[in-house]
Amino acid sequence: MKRRVVITGCGVVTPAGTELDPFWSALMSGSCFIAPLRGFSCLGMEGLMGAEVELPAADALPPEVDLDERRSRCAALALAAARRAWTDAAWPPGADLGSVGVVMGSTMAEERQVTDLSDRGKTRAQAHPGHWLDSLDAGFLVRANNHRLPALIAAQHELGGPVMLNATACSSGNAATAWAYDLVASGAATAMLAGGADSFTRLIYAGFHRMGALSKSVCRPFDRRRDGVSFGEGAAMVMLEDLEHARRRGARIYAELAGYGVSNDAHHITAPEPNGEGFARAMNQALTSTGTAAGEISYVSAHGTGTPYNDVGEARAMKAVFAERARQIPISSIKSMIGHTNGAAGAIETVACALALGHQAVPPTANLEEPDPECDLDCVPGRGREMRVETCLNLGAGFGGFNVCVLLKRVP
Amino acid sequence: MTPDPSSSSPHARAEAPVAIAITGVGVLTPLGDSVASLFEALQAGRRSIEPAPEPELAGVLESRIADFDAVRYANVRGMRIYNRTTRLGISAVRLALTDAGLAEAGAGAGAGASSAPGAARSEELGVIVASTFGHLDTLMEYDRSLATDGIQRTNPALMPLGLPSAPGAAIALSFVAKAFSITLADEGASSLDAVALGARLLAEGRARVCVVVGAFSPFLELTVAAMRSGILATGGHVRVFDRGRAGTAFGEGAAALVMEREAEARLRGAPIKGLVAGQASTFASRTAASVAAAPNGAAAAISRACILALWAARIDPSQLGVVSSGANGSVAGDLAEASALREVLGACAAHTPVMAIKGNLGEGLDAGGLLQAIVALSALRGGLAPPVLPPILELAEPEVPGLRYVRVESGSSPRGGGVKGRHALVTATSSTGACSALILEVPHDGPP
Repeated sequence: MKRRVVITGCGVVTPAGTELDPFWSALMSGSCFIAPLRGFSCLGMEGLMGAEVELPAADALPPEVDLDERRSRCAALALAAARRAWTDAAWPPGADLGSVGVVMGSTMAEERQVTDLSDRGKTRAQAHPGHWLDSLDAGFLVRANNHRLPALIAAQHELGGPVMLNATACSSGNAATAWAYDLVASGAATAMLAGGADSFTRLIYAGFHRMGALSKSVCRPFDRRRDGVSFGEGAAMVMLEDLEHARRRGARIYAELAGYGVSNDAHHITAPEPNGEGFARAMNQALTSTGTAAGEISYVSAHGTGTPYNDVGEARAMKAVFAERARQIPISSIKSMIGHTNGAAGAIETVACALALGHQAVPPTANLEEPDPECDLDCVPGRGREMRVETCLNLGAGFGGFNVCVLLKRVP
Repeated sequence: MTPDPSSSSPHARAEAPVAIAITGVGVLTPLGDSVASLFEALQAGRRSIEPAPEPELAGVLESRIADFDAVRYANVRGMRIYNRTTRLGISAVRLALTDAGLAEAGAGAGAGASSAPGAARSEELGVIVASTFGHLDTLMEYDRSLATDGIQRTNPALMPLGLPSAPGAAIALSFVAKAFSITLADEGASSLDAVALGARLLAEGRARVCVVVGAFSPFLELTVAAMRSGILATGGHVRVFDRGRAGTAFGEGAAALVMEREAEARLRGAPIKGLVAGQASTFASRTAASVAAAPNGAAAAISRACILALWAARIDPSQLGVVSSGANGSVAGDLAEASALREVLGACAAHTPVMAIKGNLGEGLDAGGLLQAIVALSALRGGLAPPVLPPILELAEPEVPGLRYVRVESGSSPRGGGVKGRHALVTATSSTGACSALILEVPHDGPP
């Protein structure tokens, strides 16, 4: 018998806010945080846009993790989100944490360790040709090991359960949540911190620039004029907990994490399957594996990156799964406001769904002014909408074609 | 800390687990590219750890596969641009699928086009790749080119292969695995965690066939970084469980398991090579990202993982035929491992053979746990475990006496020790504090 799994803590570190209330208010107002970048540059590229996080001073990286905040930005974001989720979950002091663990998702994780190394190596090689390897310091192996992200979180909170790092590109936040759900639902863990984090990275900006997939202004999911992705940085974590355990300790319950669906396009190393067939399989699996009828879905949190291919594929998947009802289900992309936060995106959107269930309202798609006829869905343009929200489906996809959808339900 | 699994929570035993069978295995190591040849080499006491040839690595030991050519194993689109770790992974998957009688699965076929009798359709085939550093050489190459040559002169095809998820994406694409494609990066614990994740996904019906693959290929920068971090032995041998141990060596390799629900595997007449009987993952939070700094915390976490895995498998230590240990010659790590095994085995320690293959093959990181698991299955089936080599002198530390390491018998050529029982315990850890323990079982009617 599977256990029911609920969300008992949420933490966000996003361009729209680093606490839940301002984050939600900003989303509902349709504010767009995508702006010229101040804290990140990439190889002299001009006019870089993105949505940055203002990390409070209290979230400064502990010196034992790294003295260089810039290169360990991802770890700083991850730790900050985990700390918020942990505090929000309010576990009693002295609780047995032997079966509480962490699953973290990230697209690029510690990529900045490599860019830092390349830059130091380049400088070193310019002064001493042939001495590039001199820049490899004794701590590089520890810092470039992506597993340190969940390990640092687990160590900080003295957790003793499974500690895993999932790498499925931009579906990583959702995938981490899915694997953590399985661990709690199967009884292998009492509770799991799950989520994702990513900072701005050179590979992503340079690569998307080269592919012509970076928006020249701001991302406009489902808009006829959309011209690509805007990136954001951030992190989010949720505490997934056995329902009975949560009730016994009197925990606040945001929502039930009812289950998930997974699929893989196996179509192309970067491009999504154009008809959304893989997306639709993951969505259908999320419905069937949780015993949810398509008609029960109140709101869909779109992957909604604002690229021409993604949004059309997603719209086709919606129609394949929901048929005629597809146009009546509100679907929105908060990436229009906080940018695409890569491996954090699914996790941030899971928190947004949990808040939507609590507030009985759904966030909008910003910057959507001229709907694409091929994306003829109810994309909640402009501002958030108050409505009855019982069940949310959060869609995520990543480079390589891996799709994960998580399904949340209101707990009366 | 010893958990009490009988308490209602935490760690209550999952009810009526769906039996998950291993129906195919594939290995690529310097000592052989088949399970039989690898096992024979281990029994014969062969080792592949040698001084690294690069001048930058003077004194460092490593184990590498000579003359590896992925095209000999698999012919898939994109192989040319994939890095060595990915090519090793693809090759191991092909070997494992062939071994499982699923040779045509994803062999360049389109969606659902597989024609092998009983084979999974693409939508029913999932892949989980254990890869922590499998993208890193490509990422370093790409990023160094960006820094020195500029964006426009950098090969854009490298970009998607520099993501940590790239090995999983490439391997799934190669075999048209449409159920899922996952990359886990739990360092040394990755591959056993991946087995557990695969078992859960199969039990939930999210695939019919799940291939779990771990691959590791050290490259110059990684080995230099490891050398400077002090984890590598710099001369002599990698001495596992030995008082003279002074570090490990990286060991190149790949291993893959094909897993299916047992009932369906039997229905299609697949050979049942083993069963995934139980698994558990724990974390040594007191190690705070360094096992070396807190070996006692690591020992407790390894011990908990083993006890929970035994509990999940519904067996006690007396039923273990063999332990396939992840010990690798690390000064702190081997002590933690030995302490944990001593605690877990208790009164059974004196007669439960403990084997450790990293003295032969080096530290295989993401491939390590799977290689240990596959050798353990062979040991269970053959009733003989390969010896720990070089011949050990035992740990100097007085607190861990009494483990029955599989030894070379005095005056004879290496043959190994007798194994009685149908269950094996496999352990794996990461330098970051993750511990994973797996219980494998060979069925009564398994192949010899």
